[in-house]
Amino acid sequence: MNAKRINWWAIFWGALAILYFFLPMYGTLDFSLRMKRGEISLLAYEIVFADPRFWEGFRYSTLMALMTIVISVLVFVPTVYWMHLKVPQARPVVEIITILPFIIPPIVYVFGLIRTFSRPPLQMTLSPITTDLLIVTGYVVISMPYMFRAVDVGMRAIDVRSLTEAAQSLGSNWFQVLAHVIVPNLRIAILSGALICFATVMGELILASFLVRPALGPYMQLLGLTKAYEPAALAIISYALTWFSLGLIQLVSRSGTAQQLTGR
Amino acid sequence: MTHLELIHIHKSFGSAVAVEDFNLAVAQGEFISFLGPSGCGKTTTLRMIAGFELPTSGKIAINGADLTYTPPNKRNVGMVFQSYALFPNMTVAQNVGYGLKIAGKTKAEIEARVAEMLALIQMEKFAARYPYQLSGGQQQRVALARALAIRPQVLLLDEPLSALDAKIRLELRQEIRRIQRQLGITTIYVTHDQEEALSLSDRIVVMSQGRIEQIGTPTAIYNEPATEFVAQFVGHINLLPVEVITPAEGVVRLGGQVIRAGRFGHLNGRPVRLAVRPEELNPGFVEGLNNLSGRVESVTYLGSIVRIRVEVEGHLLALDMFNERRLKIPAVGDALQVHFPVEACWLL
Repeated sequence: MNAKRINWWAIFWGALAILYFFLPMYGTLDFSLRMKRGEISLLAYEIVFADPRFWEGFRYSTLMALMTIVISVLVFVPTVYWMHLKVPQARPVVEIITILPFIIPPIVYVFGLIRTFSRPPLQMTLSPITTDLLIVTGYVVISMPYMFRAVDVGMRAIDVRSLTEAAQSLGSNWFQVLAHVIVPNLRIAILSGALICFATVMGELILASFLVRPALGPYMQLLGLTKAYEPAALAIISYALTWFSLGLIQLVSRSGTAQQLTGR
Repeated sequence: MTHLELIHIHKSFGSAVAVEDFNLAVAQGEFISFLGPSGCGKTTTLRMIAGFELPTSGKIAINGADLTYTPPNKRNVGMVFQSYALFPNMTVAQNVGYGLKIAGKTKAEIEARVAEMLALIQMEKFAARYPYQLSGGQQQRVALARALAIRPQVLLLDEPLSALDAKIRLELRQEIRRIQRQLGITTIYVTHDQEEALSLSDRIVVMSQGRIEQIGTPTAIYNEPATEFVAQFVGHINLLPVEVITPAEGVVRLGGQVIRAGRFGHLNGRPVRLAVRPEELNPGFVEGLNNLSGRVESVTYLGSIVRIRVEVEGHLLALDMFNERRLKIPAVGDALQVHFPVEACWLL
């Protein structure tokens, strides 16, 4: 019988990585629980949850995230579908465009937005509604690499061309092909992209800050300037939101739906 | 009466010609196979009938109605794909009923038709299963039922058995023919497998490099190939370069040996090849038939037949014999005479 050799180096590097990641988190969590001198309490969290500005920021960011998700899905699903079906040779160009948000610093992007849309003919920063529209389009661009990749990977997992042609030969028009065949088979991919979008928008600071909107990011930054324990509590809440999103992705992609779609 | 008509169909992709002057008239209920090697244009032609490709020029008509530029979803043409293309998010019953749902049929109508189709493919018990829970053969059966459920004017099958293993392929081939005969549906079947085409079809269209080489019944395609390509592509054939002695009578010479061909055209001094199928050759000398002398080069067992290669005047001639127990197989290097009837050979 072959006894498996223990790879001590792998364990060492694994442990180091875990320490590197979780130690600051533990430190933040511990600090956030020590607002009351000499005892562990949830006081910092109570203060945060009792602050109306937190809820305003949370509601605003959630709304913006949902709008971002809806617009991203409406833009990227048909675009990626068309690219797969009709112009696969455009992939390299599209891929470069989608990674632009990683290349261009957000601050440059925000200045560009403000300079372009704060003057005629498209003066969008005059009212809160048009500014929100501007900020959502900004979020769509920022979350583009995640949504594009999620949808693209989903499309690669299914035989887009054959499914489309099968649906067409059965009488479906383009809308019916997308609605009945393509989108239902991209459920997991779209959900994954949506959850990453959600996590990105919930923690976004620069756009909301420079466009002066009551999002969660600027609130966290403001709190960080004036308080000690509450920002730590907020950081943990933010982590929890991100991990919740990632957990949901894992849960969905391991469910029966995933097996049904991939056949594995 | 002509049901499906393809008139002077031409298709180019940039400078590459995929299909050239394709003409075909298909009768109602006929089973036609497009047979040819990869890249010969058979799938492109099928896709033009389905509406997934537009011809560069020419006309496609079903029941006299010009459908050349009609979008695929308006053609009422059923299609079965090599990769099955079942919708993974739908059950078997939902897959089969999808076309009817799109056509706006009532729930009762859909249920009745789905039950009828599942009975036709003998898969009533699988209605609630998802495609991933089925084998390849079962998935292709469902794909067939789905294509037939909408009562299409024409059924198109694009190499539907290519992804299946040999045994399932044979079973499903018979199943497809049974269902096609039962429903009397006009069918176009694309394949590169000559056995499939020969066993299934009423007529075969043999294609090469975008052009039709020959259209005919399986018997005509096999026994009377019109071109050297067809002769070589369908079945095995011996092609021997010969010298014409008497053009009017089809008498030719292979080295020092004289042969008379049963079929020949105008032999205007062009290079001529004698074509004869391996199964038409028999060992031994028979007076009044074509006889050739040679030496056994190799003996190969192919299960039910034994293929003997005989070297005749510097050329190899294949001879197929049934692998009977009493068969006396010559040894490699033995001198061997072979004979074949005049009607069994022709000049190309």
